[in-house]
Amino acid sequence: MEKRLIKKDALAGIARKMAGDAMVWAPVKKEDNVLFAPLGTGDEPVFTYLNSKNAPKNVFFPHTETLMKFTRTPKGMEFSSEVNQSGQSVLFGVRPCDAHSFVLLDKLFDQEKYKDAYYIEKRKNTTVISLACVKPPYATCFCTSVDGEPVSADGADILLTDLGGDYLVEFITDKGEKLASYFGDAKADAAADAKKAEIAAKARDAIQSKIPAHEIKPILDVNFDNPFWDTIHRKCLACGTCTFMCPTCHCFDISDEVKGSDGVRIRSWDSCMFPLFTKETSGHNPRSSQKERWRQRTMHKFKYYIDMFNAISCVGCGRCVMACPVNIDIRKVVADISKL
Amino acid sequence: MQNPYIPYPVVVDKIITEVDTKDIKTFRFKFVNPEDEQKYAYIPGQFGELSIFGKGESPIGIASSPTQKGYVEFTVQKAGVVTSALHEMEEGTIMGIRGPLGNSWPLDFLEGKNIVIVGGGFAFTTLRSLINYMIYGDNRKRFGNITVIYGARNPGLLLYKDELTEWGKRTDLNLNVTVDKGDATWKGREGFVPAVCKEVAPSKENAVAVICGPPVMIRFTLPVFFELGFSKENIITSLEMRMKCGIGKCGRCNVGSKYVCKDGPVFSLAELDKLTPEY
Repeated sequence: MEKRLIKKDALAGIARKMAGDAMVWAPVKKEDNVLFAPLGTGDEPVFTYLNSKNAPKNVFFPHTETLMKFTRTPKGMEFSSEVNQSGQSVLFGVRPCDAHSFVLLDKLFDQEKYKDAYYIEKRKNTTVISLACVKPPYATCFCTSVDGEPVSADGADILLTDLGGDYLVEFITDKGEKLASYFGDAKADAAADAKKAEIAAKARDAIQSKIPAHEIKPILDVNFDNPFWDTIHRKCLACGTCTFMCPTCHCFDISDEVKGSDGVRIRSWDSCMFPLFTKETSGHNPRSSQKERWRQRTMHKFKYYIDMFNAISCVGCGRCVMACPVNIDIRKVVADISKL
Repeated sequence: MQNPYIPYPVVVDKIITEVDTKDIKTFRFKFVNPEDEQKYAYIPGQFGELSIFGKGESPIGIASSPTQKGYVEFTVQKAGVVTSALHEMEEGTIMGIRGPLGNSWPLDFLEGKNIVIVGGGFAFTTLRSLINYMIYGDNRKRFGNITVIYGARNPGLLLYKDELTEWGKRTDLNLNVTVDKGDATWKGREGFVPAVCKEVAPSKENAVAVICGPPVMIRFTLPVFFELGFSKENIITSLEMRMKCGIGKCGRCNVGSKYVCKDGPVFSLAELDKLTPEY
């Protein structure tokens, strides 16, 4: 597909122009953090950030989301309407690891048999513009160990790569190409391609942190009962921050809320780190301690997801490593498993 | 395409109190929109999410058989928030059901074989669905001998008492009902399910055992069937886990790589052996 060049300082203007026509989620500074938020008038998008504090999965899978409404009638609480409104939107300037997470979440929410209309609708109506990582990223980044690349179009409709003075704009999908008119008319030449390839190789080399993510699958297959599982969780506080920050964690709860004679059924993020997550009415809990919960989280990412969808459910963003209050490091967990 | 999170509206048509303790009731639902019944075409062994707006949802096995037209039944023990609210309901109330969810008893696999049904206590519900399906009209010819072993703690806790009486009159079904301890009026068998299984000693020849009950019953019943020579491929059971979505997305009911809601709840022992023992 077509490639173009835009001047670097034009990018924020393009994002703002788009925001006039559709909802644009862009990285903006909120206190000390960069977060994805709907770009309002006067908001300044930040395209020099390393990565957003939270994963942008909430664009497709909001923290809390209304599934349906109901209302009280003389015959009981009755269903009143399905809630799934989603207009056209653009996720502008997301990092390739996070764009990769959308591909992984698609496998779960957009299965052949049970389709999650809420996720799919938002995904369908959103154009993803990835912003390649050309600068040395965080020391905790390990995307290259989990099928990612710092300069990658995986999951993107448009890929932007900083070539120094210009951004190379690559339209990856038809959906991306529909936004072509925003990006001027300067065609990119072969020199831009060569420069991008050079930058991509450098960026790849800059990822120092490597984990044997692919090697541990056969080890996990046969080590469900290994005493190793009794070691990781000991300092875990069960705070759930790792799952909250994770771009691929998708577990949720469904609950009802009633005010007066109207109510809503909502889904909210939940976490396999919480004791109540699997606790049954009888009191029985198949994952009765933090040991089982940590095993579940590790197995889910590096074994179960491969069994189910032939993909590791980790994008190497390193958010869980940075956010864990007791410094449990998934990179070390994986490395330790590889030695079992 | 039907949004799998949106329940079909149903009206509570009939409530049957099953047991003396009154905490297990069978709820018969009729679809508010008659065309929904077709969409809710189910197979014995599947379950549904009973949906009470304002309270939430509870996954419950379908107790009626698809051969029973015009309604769908669930037998529910009063236990948590949703089931307690359900037990307070009156006939005529509108609520919702989602589904049918999960796989089912493997009817194709069962066809042409001798079937041994073993049920304990309140876990008899989807077995009842299977029995009623197998003995319905011409369906009966598709299965070999049918042996049913069903136990409860005491006579008052037996479910579907009228049906048990009817089944007992049939010559094409070998019914063995037992209670742990009888009472003054009980004329039937006394004894635990595993002991009765040993006594009845169903042949392993061309036979499949479908077993569903409390963990303690399962634990002592399985060795009996192993001794009778049943292979793990020919012993089928159904699992329960905490569930929310029922469609393999919310992440809480997996046993290893399998979601009980979507890939189960029915598994053979051979299949369970391949899963992690976390249920």
